[in-house]
Amino acid sequence: MVRKISQEEFKDVLASKVALVDFSAVWCGPCKMVAPVIEALSDELDGQVDFFNVDVDDCPEIAAEYAIMSIPALILFKDGKSVDMKVGFRPQAELAAWIKGELN
Amino acid sequence: MARYDIAIIGTGPAGVSAAITSVIRNKSVLLLGSADLSAKLKKAHEIRNYPGFAAVSGETLGAAFAEHLSSMGIEITEDKITSVYAMGDYFALQASSGLMYEAAAVILATGVIAGKPLEGEEELLGRGVSYCATCDAPLYRGKEVTVIGYSPKEEKEAAFLSEVTAKVTYIPMYKEEPQLPGSVVIVKDRAMGIGIQDGRRVVKTAGEPIVTDGVFVLRESVSAGQLVPGLATDGTHVLVDLQMKTNIEGCFACGDIAGRPYQYVKAAGQGNVAALSAVDYLDAKKRN
Ligand SMILES: Cc1cc2nc3c(=O)[nH]c(=O)nc-3n(C[C@H](O)[C@H](O)[C@H](O)COP(=O)(O)OP(=O)(O)OC[C@H]3O[C@@H](n4cnc5c(N)ncnc54)[C@H](O)[C@@H]3O)c2cc1C
Repeated sequence: MVRKISQEEFKDVLASKVALVDFSAVWCGPCKMVAPVIEALSDELDGQVDFFNVDVDDCPEIAAEYAIMSIPALILFKDGKSVDMKVGFRPQAELAAWIKGELN
Repeated sequence: MARYDIAIIGTGPAGVSAAITSVIRNKSVLLLGSADLSAKLKKAHEIRNYPGFAAVSGETLGAAFAEHLSSMGIEITEDKITSVYAMGDYFALQASSGLMYEAAAVILATGVIAGKPLEGEEELLGRGVSYCATCDAPLYRGKEVTVIGYSPKEEKEAAFLSEVTAKVTYIPMYKEEPQLPGSVVIVKDRAMGIGIQDGRRVVKTAGEPIVTDGVFVLRESVSAGQLVPGLATDGTHVLVDLQMKTNIEGCFACGDIAGRPYQYVKAAGQGNVAALSAVDYLDAKKRN
């Protein structure tokens, strides 16, 4: 499951052991397309990674903090620190391989 | 929305051949491209190595292709695909018309584009550089954008952007006189590259650089890697195996886009292989 969070709830990302945050917006086509892919990925990696969605229009400060210049931006967090980012639509297999590589 | 069995992008010999074989194998086909089929087919004066035709003009061979398609009831959908999304068990195809098509398998038969990307273009893609006005226009509401158009066909997109954004500057990369709304500033100069300046974007030209918020680079076709996010390429060509499979399951490539040599009969042959592989893929999927 992917949890949509507000600016105040972003602390849950920082408290998570491993988290993937999908930065997106309602008007962005590729964001809409990648959303079900992330949802399927969250099932595939259930129990290993926490999944969050941040709307950049609702959370401008967080978007600025992580220098989001293009969406969708997928940032992988480990122990509250951003470790890697992917920009744009990505197929599920590519994302799964990316995250699993970072888990080990 | 109707989900096709196979979407074929491109109407050169590779795409035409793939469509014919897919239909013979009873698959529903969406053939995307141009009613003129292919500029590269039109341009050839005399083709001497296409079996069945000792010496034939591209024009004549193209007419024979069109006749073959229509005799089988295969229609061409005249739309340009800007993105192909691998959704898992199907593909979503974003078109420049704003329509979204769906298919269970995709065959890329787009040919290769001549010319290199502009300096900075690929690095800044998605960071102030876009290939699709209808998709990304809302990002630039109230902002200034610059459109680099490679053919008069792109003027429609520039006109649309002028309705949404505060200011549109248009750089025509062709000789014809652009027909655009009066609010659009036309700069007859050659775009050389795209860069960043004080948090904004800048289009480098032979003359004065143009400072702007977003740059739309509009060409007849985009490179395969940009067309299909996640697709493995060597920069110019899609990486395929002998079955014309790409690294993305259910996505196949054929013709010039799948590598050299650039030849009609090789493109047609690979189109046939790609179609048969797509049929195998769909049949295997149905069994599971
Ligand atoms: C002047 C000239 C002479 C030639 N002579 C010969 C010859 O004698 N013998 C020979 O074997 N070969 C010859 N060639 C090479 C031959 O033209 C190519 O190898 C062949 O056309 C490749 O076919 P294709 O189907 O891969 O791509 P193309 O013929 O390039 O067709 C690609 C099609 O895809 C469409 N398309 C691309 N992107 C998109 C998109 N995003 N959405 C929708 N549609 C899209 C294009 O509009 C086009 O219709 C010649 C080429 C030229 C230029």
